[in-house]
Amino acid sequence: MKKAITFTLNNEVIETEVDPKWTLLYLLREVLEMTGTKEGCGYGECGACTVIINGQAVDSCLYPVMEAEGRKITTIEGIMLKSGELDPIQQALVQNGAVQCGFCTPGMVMSAKALLDEKERPTEDDIKDSIAGNLCRCTGYVNIVDAIKSVAGGR
Amino acid sequence: MSSLTKVGQRIPKKDAPLKVTGAAIYIQDMKVPGMLYGKILYSKYAHAKILKIDTGKAEKLAGVRAVLTGADVPNNFKFGFLKDNPPLKTGKVLSARDEIAAVAAISAEIAEEALDLIEVEYEELPGIFDPLDAMKEGAPLIHEEFKSNVLKLPWKLVAGDVEEAKKASAYIAEDSFSTQWVTHCCLGTSGCIAAFDMNNNLTMYSNTQIPSLAQNDYLEALKTFGLKNKRVRIIQCVIGGGFGSKLDTYAYEYIAILLALKTRKPVKIVFSREEEFFATSPRQCTITKISQGCDKDGRLTFREMEMVLDNGAYVSWGATTPSVMMVPISSLYKVQNIKYVAKCVYTNNTYSQAMRGYGNPQATFAIESCLDQLAEKAGIDPLEIRRINANEPGEITPQNFRITSCGMKECIDEVANRLDWKGKRGKHNNRGVGMASLIHVGGAARVYKSDGCGTIIKMDDNGKVDVITGSSEIGQGSETIISQIVAEVLGINIDDINVINNDTDVCPWDVGAHASRTTFVAGNSALGAARKIKAQILEVAAKNLGEDPQSLDIKDGVVFSTKDKEKNIPLSKVLRKVHYSLGGRMLVAENFYDPPNENFDQNFRGNLSVSYAYGAHGVEVEVDKDTGQVKILNYIAAHDVGKAINPMLLEGQIYGGGLQGIGYALGERMIFEKGVLKNGNFLDYKMPTAKDVPPVQAVIVETDEQAGPFGAKGIGEPGLVPTAPAIANAIYDAVGVRIKDLPITPEKVLRALQEKGKIA
Amino acid sequence: MRSYEYYKPQTMQEAVGLMDRLEDAKFIAGGTDVMVLLRQKKLALKNLISLRNIGDLVYIDKKDGLKIGSATTHTEIVKDEFIKRFYSALNDATTHLGSRQIRNVATVGGNICNAAPSADTACPLLVLDAKVIIVGQKGEREVDIDDFFLGPNKIALERGEIVKGFHMPQFGDNTGSAYIKHTRRQAMDLPMIGIGARITIKIGKSEVRCRDALCTIDTISNVLARLQDEELEIEDARIAMGVVAPRPIRAKQAEAALKGKVVSEKLFREIGEIAATEAQPRDSIRGEAWYRKEMVKVLVRRALMRSIDRVIRPDDTIYPERLW
Repeated sequence: MKKAITFTLNNEVIETEVDPKWTLLYLLREVLEMTGTKEGCGYGECGACTVIINGQAVDSCLYPVMEAEGRKITTIEGIMLKSGELDPIQQALVQNGAVQCGFCTPGMVMSAKALLDEKERPTEDDIKDSIAGNLCRCTGYVNIVDAIKSVAGGR
Repeated sequence: MSSLTKVGQRIPKKDAPLKVTGAAIYIQDMKVPGMLYGKILYSKYAHAKILKIDTGKAEKLAGVRAVLTGADVPNNFKFGFLKDNPPLKTGKVLSARDEIAAVAAISAEIAEEALDLIEVEYEELPGIFDPLDAMKEGAPLIHEEFKSNVLKLPWKLVAGDVEEAKKASAYIAEDSFSTQWVTHCCLGTSGCIAAFDMNNNLTMYSNTQIPSLAQNDYLEALKTFGLKNKRVRIIQCVIGGGFGSKLDTYAYEYIAILLALKTRKPVKIVFSREEEFFATSPRQCTITKISQGCDKDGRLTFREMEMVLDNGAYVSWGATTPSVMMVPISSLYKVQNIKYVAKCVYTNNTYSQAMRGYGNPQATFAIESCLDQLAEKAGIDPLEIRRINANEPGEITPQNFRITSCGMKECIDEVANRLDWKGKRGKHNNRGVGMASLIHVGGAARVYKSDGCGTIIKMDDNGKVDVITGSSEIGQGSETIISQIVAEVLGINIDDINVINNDTDVCPWDVGAHASRTTFVAGNSALGAARKIKAQILEVAAKNLGEDPQSLDIKDGVVFSTKDKEKNIPLSKVLRKVHYSLGGRMLVAENFYDPPNENFDQNFRGNLSVSYAYGAHGVEVEVDKDTGQVKILNYIAAHDVGKAINPMLLEGQIYGGGLQGIGYALGERMIFEKGVLKNGNFLDYKMPTAKDVPPVQAVIVETDEQAGPFGAKGIGEPGLVPTAPAIANAIYDAVGVRIKDLPITPEKVLRALQEKGKIA
Repeated sequence: MRSYEYYKPQTMQEAVGLMDRLEDAKFIAGGTDVMVLLRQKKLALKNLISLRNIGDLVYIDKKDGLKIGSATTHTEIVKDEFIKRFYSALNDATTHLGSRQIRNVATVGGNICNAAPSADTACPLLVLDAKVIIVGQKGEREVDIDDFFLGPNKIALERGEIVKGFHMPQFGDNTGSAYIKHTRRQAMDLPMIGIGARITIKIGKSEVRCRDALCTIDTISNVLARLQDEELEIEDARIAMGVVAPRPIRAKQAEAALKGKVVSEKLFREIGEIAATEAQPRDSIRGEAWYRKEMVKVLVRRALMRSIDRVIRPDDTIYPERLW
């Protein structure tokens, strides 16, 4: 049986019908066709599906869609600035060579965003901790950490 | 070369903005109208007779459009290097990843539900999971028709006289080493969409690394299916990681084709993470016996190696990795007498394929670990023995490799200096340093008859450029590198270049993204095309400016006279002149670059690559003697890359390769029980996280390779080749135990320390 | 995957009532375990009752000890400086659980009620003498955490009951605790072995003489050696072990052997040996039994060392962490 839910997605109020067994990721990708959020494993073990819910980075593949009700959700599609420019974190990832195949990248952006929204000047350990749940096979993480550091320092 | 403005610059990857915004479309994100979802049922056992398959219930499930079994595969079609692998198995299953049946349905969920309704009866057979068991006399045959479990691939290299060299050696070290199964772990799983048009021409949406070769594979399949004279078009989505995993075609692709044929609808199959772990083909495990000798001054006299490779149940590129293992075996350091024999053995395990380094990491682990043992016997510092024997420009190696540029010594010295080798070596205080070097193909590798890549460049009315290349962007940055090369020649901006590289209907031919060849081959191909179109541009501009073409050049999109800077014309105007004049023309250039390298002859001699990549890795470790844990305190990776076209992207290859190497050395392994993968998930397959990254320095050594585009050589694979032996050697320096079996787990280190304690 | 109904009660009573009324139902909190089981088809049910929206289950109360609501997330515990200072083992465990994304939703109640032998928060709660506060139709009851674990995935919860929270006694500045998680990776990992320890000494921190020995960046091993004549007598101690038995257990013989003894590294080494005899780890793909047993010896000693360090030295961040 479908259930109606209402929540805020990238600053827009969404009213939609969902099957309670869906995950938030399923709603985003398969129903709303917002494919920027990736599924890398489906078990909360890779972080490719990271979104921000009420200010916190969350694996959307493990998030029951019914819990979206009333919450404020930001996805990679909601990160760009209103001017159409990249967010400083996105900009830094581009500039620092922190993107290769790119499949982990949207999740990385969201994890870094949640960290920097919470902590203006994170330490390197904070940065590594914030993306430790985001697996990347291409980059060895070095340029990703440097990119996030550059934004943190530049603020 | 100081006048270069695009080449050598840290230019951001062209596709990065697409990827940081989530706008890049991977196969996971792709939908085609009317598309069905395919799912595959795999075997329950690694070795069993299939007694009965009942698909009745599955077929009746609402939403199911087709169910296939091996009986539906036309004309006994088989694929793979030795054509021993049917996409759906009949009669017998030979590994736990064997495909038994497949379903197409209107949703992925229904397809999955249908799989649960397929009833299969098996009679389990005893399996062979150890290649040494498979080689024993009287061992049950995996493929009865081949009469032996040892593949008929004669991997044997002999140069000089090893027996004589042994007699003449002052010191000899010999030992056995082994390596484990590891897998690529692409973050984006494998997948495809197969779609037929009304004339039965196939369009395949794919994430292959080898579009031209895959096209050929599919064409052959269509022929066998009775569809002659058809066309195959491959459209590559953005590829979520390659590392060799997409270097061959897989059963799921043929299954998607068969389902699409049967249903007359596009069919999408995308692997779940579990499937990605157990149903793609990993790097095989190896068992190696090695013996190396040197004279009293430490000069290497011979190298003898015997290797057994677990091929698994079917043959893919894994069985050909000895060809690349031969590169370090014959040519890492100067050593004249070589003997190498490798046997690839069928077992009931998963079957092996290409993975970054293509056999080189397994061979180098044995060679470089053993070299430290030899150095110890000879009483020579491991750094010195490497310097004494380092390769040099101008050398011709026992396999007839012609060494052109070679920065091996510089790499070794960089590592030693940055690690403070002299200060830290030999302290035995639980901290230690170790190093290992590498040689790899750096100027393509002629493994097929062709090693070529085509490029077409066309200019449009606005002076912008389309570069249509055969090469594939798999995340490594090839489209940016090619843009830099073209922009450098044409004097235009990177942003004015559009690279088209994902559609076989449009793109020229290429043998794929492998062998660290793309910068070298596709780069040279693009360089040639750019020079050709530049000549055309200058010719047109010369007429308009009343100048000699030789005195013209292009900068920032403007053609100008080098004699009189006032005389200039923007590219856009040049183009308009040719388009809008009577008898007009296009500005298009094409170039096919096939490097002047050689296939191996029957005796495995031949200059496989136009140039060779060198490097050395050095590592400082600390060993926790109570727990056996190894912590990397410092990691130096120095690479001779010829010329860094883009140092930032190049460092990315080194960092990424290095961390894969660290995972290979210290933790990653696929754990099989009776051929069934037990840790096929990211929790239990210990791929490193951001917190596992040690302090690391990527050091670029430039040697200006004359045959390379702007001096460049390949760097895709080298980053993980010497990592494991460097770490193993450092552990030995720290605590005096040598781990000869990868991965170096805390258990193995602790056990070795305990054994050593007993002896001491 | 079969569909199910998803209920979001706002109060404990509502949740308990739903569980009483609904067939084939299960509670879900952060969902990081339940959602995985559902996807793996290891769990199939008709009804899920979410505990995520019950405000009364989320609290960190620091009066008379420490009381933590069961739906409190790991992130909230990590952030709490009071817990870090006085209930350090719990901070250790929550800090290193899963990933940031997991800690942001996974709850301490979920971690405990999932009752895996590897549950990270189990050992800290065992050494911190937590009581499990259980709410059901008939009201509240209290169970000692050690009696709460019955076996793998088995806990002392009746049908229709939920865990409200975990209440721990107050510990003075003569107490220190630690949890060491032994893993193959630095993050995103389950413990091969998890060891929790708590030590309460007879004198308060301020009564420890020889202050100069304390204010160094030296290892605790050397500090203890210099404090030999201090006679730091152990009043009470706890040791808990994860992944050595079907459920997280206490090493009671080892605990008893600590009581009344004077702190020394040698003693802790002996205690490690005793604890190892109480551990019965198994071989699994995640670790070998012999190794796990060896690690009990090492990590019990180290967890005790770290615990005493936290008693006698003011701030455990001033010296380098030698364990990784």
